Amino acid sequence: MTEVLPPSVASCAKVFRPRWILWSCALGVAVTVTSLLGALAMLLWQSLPLLGHQGSSFVTAPEWYYPEKAFGALAMIYGTTVVSLIALVLAVPVAVGASILSAEYLPPGLRLVVKSGIEMLAGVPSVVYGLLGVLFLREWVYHGLTAFDPISGDSLFTAGLLLAVMILPTITTLSDDALRSVPASQRSAARGLGLTRAEAVLHVALPQAAPGILAASLLGLGRALGETVAVFLVVGRQDNQLPGNPFSPTAWISPGQTLTSKLGGPETHIAYGDPLHWSAIIGLALLLLLLVGFCLAAAWGLERVMKRTPMDTESDS
Amino acid sequence: MKAATLLLGVVVAASFFPVAKAQKPTLRVSGSTTVHPVVSEAAEVLRKDKDLAITIDTAGGSTGGINGLGDRRADVGMSSRPLNNADRKKFPLVDFHATSIGRDAVSIVVSKDVWEGGVKSLNADQFRGIYECKVTNWQELGGEDCRIVFFNKEPGRGTWEVLVKWLYGNPESAPRSNHPEVGANEEVRSKVSGTRGAISFVSTPWADGQRVFALGIQKDDGSVIGATGPDIASGDYPMTRPLFVITNGEPAGAAKVLIDYLLSDAGQELVAKHGYLRLADLK
Repeated sequence: MTEVLPPSVASCAKVFRPRWILWSCALGVAVTVTSLLGALAMLLWQSLPLLGHQGSSFVTAPEWYYPEKAFGALAMIYGTTVVSLIALVLAVPVAVGASILSAEYLPPGLRLVVKSGIEMLAGVPSVVYGLLGVLFLREWVYHGLTAFDPISGDSLFTAGLLLAVMILPTITTLSDDALRSVPASQRSAARGLGLTRAEAVLHVALPQAAPGILAASLLGLGRALGETVAVFLVVGRQDNQLPGNPFSPTAWISPGQTLTSKLGGPETHIAYGDPLHWSAIIGLALLLLLLVGFCLAAAWGLERVMKRTPMDTESDS
Repeated sequence: MKAATLLLGVVVAASFFPVAKAQKPTLRVSGSTTVHPVVSEAAEVLRKDKDLAITIDTAGGSTGGINGLGDRRADVGMSSRPLNNADRKKFPLVDFHATSIGRDAVSIVVSKDVWEGGVKSLNADQFRGIYECKVTNWQELGGEDCRIVFFNKEPGRGTWEVLVKWLYGNPESAPRSNHPEVGANEEVRSKVSGTRGAISFVSTPWADGQRVFALGIQKDDGSVIGATGPDIASGDYPMTRPLFVITNGEPAGAAKVLIDYLLSDAGQELVAKHGYLRLADLK
């Protein structure tokens, strides 16, 4: 079929072709890409003195003590990992359950209310969550875990708990989208084969939405890794807390330090002007950027897989 | 359409030029949370009376303020510790000019359970033990059987330097030790009051005797002194410090207005009101 446009449309298309739209879009893309690459290059460049001083022990040494120029980030990497993992483990099951309810069971009107409520929660500024954490969570953790004898209410666990609450809305709403993107015809077919509604959800919708749910969790993880203010307020900020056993519950309910709480702390101000110390701080920022970037890239990759899957199944059937 | 595009273009182009011309320059003050209440109240007065534009922040404490001044991110630094050679070496081009506006003492504070458990004073040796994690239970210090939770101040805080100067002579010889860290005085008070067996140290006005309790200091001869006016003025109390506002070169312009006010009778009243010693009390 050849394309023959009616004269009016053809002339319109010819006249309305403002070049400046194209150019301004190109400029926008160029600015975005160069600023991102520029930031990455700057971080790399400024962390060179550190890599010269510390080498690979920057990520393997547990000792961070700037007056003696010891810059090992392992304890902070450990803190960040533990805090994010606690957040994920607590948030994902709840989020998946909530998204199944809203995507599969709620009537459309109610679903809209629930979903917009959840999305509003995702937009609450993190400092608000942080202050709520200071107000309630610290006390709860301190008094609730008395049996385990925590030093104070500030701990890696408190920070993880707070992050779980913070990333819950993000994961819920994205998982809900993933479930909704499974075609309704598949569910009808499953029901037609005699499966119950629950079985259709469990064996048809969930497996197909799985990559999307995983991607949602990774996006949540990305937010958890990068969260600064809220974590800073409740993590305890104790340096060099690297337990012999990484899964020790005592270590988890003790104060610790994460990459972000270090970066948000006073050392950033102190380091300014001292090239090596500053370089170490920039090194931490680079590390954080790489971690978050890795999570986002993985989520993006999964989302592509997810988009391809329904087409494949259609061509198979 | 064209006019709108043009207008948009003008607005976008204009946004690239600073519009500072129309506004008066803002005096940026940064640094110590200890000096902050005094300067903040003085700024309140000056904003009203002299129409001065002043912003104040306390990011990074005293060292944050000095570095802010050094990097020209602030016009006036507030500091609860004297300038040292490291500061001068870091910013060789800056002519630091410190003006003392009063004096403050640092108090050791404990939570209610420790206070009621019978610990009322400490000597330097005992506190060094706590700082180095060698003394870990209040029983060893005459209190009840309860773990000691020591909240250390973040690096760069003026209060921390006063403490380690008393314990170790100077900040450089403070040993490496890891404790949960706290920042501003208010945060110390809140954490100490909410934790069993807690001990930390704050600028004296925050040791309120209701939420946190100030310990006396045992001198070598066994006598106990507290952070009270006469003992601070005479220099008997070991942990005191001058409070400074710092400028690059002699104070000038808006900074001079602020500092002159702080040194005036009205400004010195503010120093006393917030629990510090006025310059006149010291001589």
